[in-house]
Amino acid sequence: MSAAFQGITRPAHIAVATAAALAVGGLAAGGIGSDMLLSLLTQATIFAIFAVGVGVLLRQNGMVSFGHAAFYGLAGYVAGILIREMGWSGEGAVLAALGGVALFAFVLGFVVVRVPGIAFGMLTIAIGQSFYQGATTSRSLTGGADGLHIDWPQTLFGVSLDTLFQPHVMFMVCWTALVLCVAGLALLLSTNFGAVTEAVRDNEERARFIGIRTLLPRVLVFTLSAFVTAVAGTLSALNTGFVSPESLHWSVSGSALMMVIVGGYRRLWGPALGAMLFFLARDFLGDFAEHWLAIFGAALIFVIVFAPDGFSGALVGLWRRMRGGGKSRGAAAVQAN
Amino acid sequence: MTFINLFNGLVYGSLLIVMSSGLALIYGLRRVVNFAHGALYMLGAYIGFTIAQHTGFWVALVAAPAVMALVGVLLDRYGFRLLQDRNPLTVVLVTFGLLLIIEDFVQTVWGKSNLSMATPALLAHSVTVAGHELPVYRIAVLFFGIAVAVALSLWLRYSRVGLFVRAASTDPVTTSMQGVNTDRLSAMVVGLGTALAGLAGVVAAPFLSLSPAMSSDVLIDSFVVVVVGGLGSLPGAFAAAILLGLLQSMGAVYLPSLAAILPFLFMIAILLWRPSGLAGNRT
Amino acid sequence: MSTPQALEVEDVAVYYGGVKAVDGVTFTVASGEIRGLIGPNGAGKSTVIDAITGRRKPTRGRVRLQGEDVTGLGVIERRQRGLARSFQRTSIFAEMTVGAQVELAARKVGATDWKANAHEVLRQLDLLELHGWMADELGYGQQRRLDLALALVGRPSLLLLDEPMAGLSSQESEQLAEHLQQLTSSWNVGVLLVEHDMDVVFGISDSVTVFELGQVIASGDPAEVRAHPRVRQAYLGSAA
Repeated sequence: MSAAFQGITRPAHIAVATAAALAVGGLAAGGIGSDMLLSLLTQATIFAIFAVGVGVLLRQNGMVSFGHAAFYGLAGYVAGILIREMGWSGEGAVLAALGGVALFAFVLGFVVVRVPGIAFGMLTIAIGQSFYQGATTSRSLTGGADGLHIDWPQTLFGVSLDTLFQPHVMFMVCWTALVLCVAGLALLLSTNFGAVTEAVRDNEERARFIGIRTLLPRVLVFTLSAFVTAVAGTLSALNTGFVSPESLHWSVSGSALMMVIVGGYRRLWGPALGAMLFFLARDFLGDFAEHWLAIFGAALIFVIVFAPDGFSGALVGLWRRMRGGGKSRGAAAVQAN
Repeated sequence: MTFINLFNGLVYGSLLIVMSSGLALIYGLRRVVNFAHGALYMLGAYIGFTIAQHTGFWVALVAAPAVMALVGVLLDRYGFRLLQDRNPLTVVLVTFGLLLIIEDFVQTVWGKSNLSMATPALLAHSVTVAGHELPVYRIAVLFFGIAVAVALSLWLRYSRVGLFVRAASTDPVTTSMQGVNTDRLSAMVVGLGTALAGLAGVVAAPFLSLSPAMSSDVLIDSFVVVVVGGLGSLPGAFAAAILLGLLQSMGAVYLPSLAAILPFLFMIAILLWRPSGLAGNRT
Repeated sequence: MSTPQALEVEDVAVYYGGVKAVDGVTFTVASGEIRGLIGPNGAGKSTVIDAITGRRKPTRGRVRLQGEDVTGLGVIERRQRGLARSFQRTSIFAEMTVGAQVELAARKVGATDWKANAHEVLRQLDLLELHGWMADELGYGQQRRLDLALALVGRPSLLLLDEPMAGLSSQESEQLAEHLQQLTSSWNVGVLLVEHDMDVVFGISDSVTVFELGQVIASGDPAEVRAHPRVRQAYLGSAA
């Protein structure tokens, strides 16, 4: 496992971190009294999942997508349309949304991951906007620009909707989803698959010269990132009971990318941190709150130019320095000599 | 009804010509997809609005793009030039951050409500063409776009600087080795590109109102035009601009769903077939 | 021929766009043999390497690895059949550690005990203590060795080295040359060594082939080739 992207890589460590994160979430869910705060945190968590999805594509494939909102919104629309038009159960709709988007991404991936550089970014804009326009103009199917109300059935996976919609329950559900997504990705990427995708990302030609077939790993990463994004989209549709073309717009993808960069894409949880910062900034900046997007834009530029590892990188660096480490293992070993 | 739609489509297409040529020039020289281009268009429009309030439209038409040119030079000098050795994706994201800053700046200074700019008196009437009454201003915009297209093409083709620009867009390393000061050239071209965006903004202001939302849609349209038109090719962009304008206005009436998606389908097709046009490797 | 050669290049030609980059060349590399390949710039050396590795399809001719015709196979298939190459412009995985990438390469080539194999290669190339270092933190010479390590894992039967000494100091070149000789003899690898450094080539090669304008102009024992009139002419007084 490469050191710059070093994080917690041993399954045992991942399990411990997961348990700790879930515990923190539980405390928050139980301890926070304000419904409004819980609701805000829920939104932030959902977006954190979205950002993690966008982030893993950047981290493992080195690809910047301005179109991931398509997967986000599509999940919501698939669930909503299946429930409304075809009378599907909530469970079926959720599984179909997740599975359908993942399958779509898998097929699409074979076509789009071959496109290099900024062309890929433009391609994702075009795809995202196609869906946006499609949703806006198909009134009969999607409700058009007004959006789609989703009448979730009374129980979902055995839990009654009344229970589910309580703020602390909804928060915990979303938080658990976030933690499991990050943990799942961490586990997956600590295997050989992780090393293969990193090699392909760093040097595709050399990867082939050492015997790696480079298309499939990238498609799989693309699919994973779409799946995680779809999780966020489904949760959002559940949380608000509503999905609109706005959730397919490229600016939403752009916001997610900002969270990824500011949070730091080298850590799987970095984008989640970025999302939290994004939502906190919006609601706690007080007098400057109106300018939060500009402030975030400035933060984005600052991070890109001066601190490419983002906030998560800064935190990790701080942690290491406190423990007496600092540089990568290699350099530290030299220092020790 | 159709004639009016056709006309409006041509007018918007003409505007897109001015917009997208700026985007294409910046990409050609700096390999940067300038996400802030729409915001610069908007900024130019608002600055023009304010200048026009004091000195009238015609001064604004010259002054606002001049201001935007300065902005462009600064952007190139302190943005693109300093980041030129980094991954191009990085610079693109920086322009995205810039987009947000500029949009916020405009909202802070000019407020969130729509503003309208008066059509200059000289062009504020209508004429009858083929049985329809058309605003003279829009006719002027139509011809203006064509004039810009022609002027740029001639400039690139026949002037010395134009030659350098074409050379540097193709092979920056060799061009600088030939003694062309590529840094100064870049500043000039980026300045020209942003000036064109601002110019488009001022020109658009009298017939499309000024609003904080104006940057996003025109940006995407510019992207479509530049990609579909083919990056090396300004004439391609010009043609694509007109086609997109026509498609949008005609399509909105006759085939709304298809017309909205079709440009993106073309964009997807081009990017799948010739991605190297956009991701071209610099030597 | 009782045992097949590690590499057989038979009348390979590569033409594109009116250019005859390689114009019908034939040579072999036996297992355990180091064959130097020299020639002026533009002589076709890189192109023939591309044809041998599968990166480029030859206009005509055959390429055989251990007797098997691989002319129609791609890069990955040839790698699986024991062909490996290093790169003139260092080609490594910048954001992976030395250990991680060499182990990945060993795993991918299907070495049975890949961890031990990776360890062995790193040890042979003095990279073991750099195991945890990020590749982009290494010095130039260390990166060149890493580039080589990625090719050496899995005990290739044929190793193509494209200017491995490029940019190295004379001391580093000497060390690398020693490593190569040790490895080739202990592993019985066939080596095709493309190099500009004449001292190195004539120092460690068992045989030398000289290219000019896409054709072989001399081939055989290093001392004989060195003295060959056309070779001296082609190099215009350099390295006599």
